[in-house]
Amino acid sequence: MLFTWFMLAGCILLFAPQSFTGKFQLAFVDVFRWPLSLGGNVALTARTQQSAGENLGGGEQRLLNVIANLEQTVAEYRRQFQKQHKYTPYVWEGADVTVAAVIERPVDGPSNELTIDYRKRIGLAKGQYVLGGESIIGTISDVFPQLGTARVKLITDFTSQIPVKIGNGNLRNIMKGTDGNVAVIEQVKTKIDVGERVFALRKRGFLDLDAPIVTGRVSRCERNQKEASVWDVTVVPVCDIRNIEDVAVIIMNPKAG
Amino acid sequence: MRWLRFAILILVATIVQKGMLARWDYKPDLLLILLVFFSVYSHPSEAIIGSFTIGFAADLIGSPLPMGPHVISFGLFGTLLAYIHRVVAIRRKSYQALAILITGCVAGALVYFLAFMIKREPLPERVFVTILLTSIFSGVVGPFLFPPAAYCMGIETNRFQRRSRR
Repeated sequence: MLFTWFMLAGCILLFAPQSFTGKFQLAFVDVFRWPLSLGGNVALTARTQQSAGENLGGGEQRLLNVIANLEQTVAEYRRQFQKQHKYTPYVWEGADVTVAAVIERPVDGPSNELTIDYRKRIGLAKGQYVLGGESIIGTISDVFPQLGTARVKLITDFTSQIPVKIGNGNLRNIMKGTDGNVAVIEQVKTKIDVGERVFALRKRGFLDLDAPIVTGRVSRCERNQKEASVWDVTVVPVCDIRNIEDVAVIIMNPKAG
Repeated sequence: MRWLRFAILILVATIVQKGMLARWDYKPDLLLILLVFFSVYSHPSEAIIGSFTIGFAADLIGSPLPMGPHVISFGLFGTLLAYIHRVVAIRRKSYQALAILITGCVAGALVYFLAFMIKREPLPERVFVTILLTSIFSGVVGPFLFPPAAYCMGIETNRFQRRSRR
């Protein structure tokens, strides 16, 4: 009976939302911060062979360490600020972008996913649009808050479907991935010139911007095999995914603070 | 069972595991060692409570894994070990080491299996090597930590040993 009750409690803990149960882990670390850090210091001292003569006084060395850490923090913030502004040369009302480094990218052959680093763990959600090289390259497909990473499904992924418009006209359609390195827009009513730009259109909650954002360009336009009166348009991304180092995630209606 | 001593011992082991031992990639799992210790040297009903409590402690320091898998895994295998011990006495150091090794492997595997299946946590690289090495280290160190743990808990470890015939 005792075992059953405890097992039930374990199952409740397991199935409870991680945002709730994670608070226990954080609370433990907060409450026992001092003994935990003490343990870490002892371990570090044991592992590093330092002579007493090499060390500065405890207070001075500590201050030097603080300065070194602050310098690194300032440099990192400056770098992030520059990156952020590289991605937002124009003002989007009600939208924010968050820059994230690319951890894994396709090397050779068709691959339609990117893994990005996202350690802030706030604001990122499935379906959000991702900018790379000033163009829409895909959407967030998975978020792993515990690992601080997220997965980006590229526009060329065969499950990807985003509303687009072709060129400067009013030709709207859905662009689908093919699992190659291209996407297609099927059954377009008019012939499209090769090289024409394709723009991602607004999508409520994810891309509520006034102006569309470029995502690809037309590389081929052929008649539909079943219905000769319409055209199938092949689109290639305008961003070179293989050389991309960081991306920006568009967060609509970011929470204040 | 002296529960206050039990709580303090588990707390100290948890802090040492998370603080001092956290720097090493491969290390013995003190909570696993204590799990086997209490399963072997306690009454089964006490062992059940102890196993789930140790599992909860392991979950507290188990980040980035979610809470829950350790409670279930440690509770299940701690209880199982306590009942096995009623049939097969685990008194010799070699048996204790083997019990820690096996419990560590199966409990560790179940922890990652639950985290993967229920919470969709991606498996870390070389997870099975980590489980195996942790179990081996725990198995090697564990039996030598039993006497100090028994002293702290006021348990007489050799009360069930057979006396040699003269």
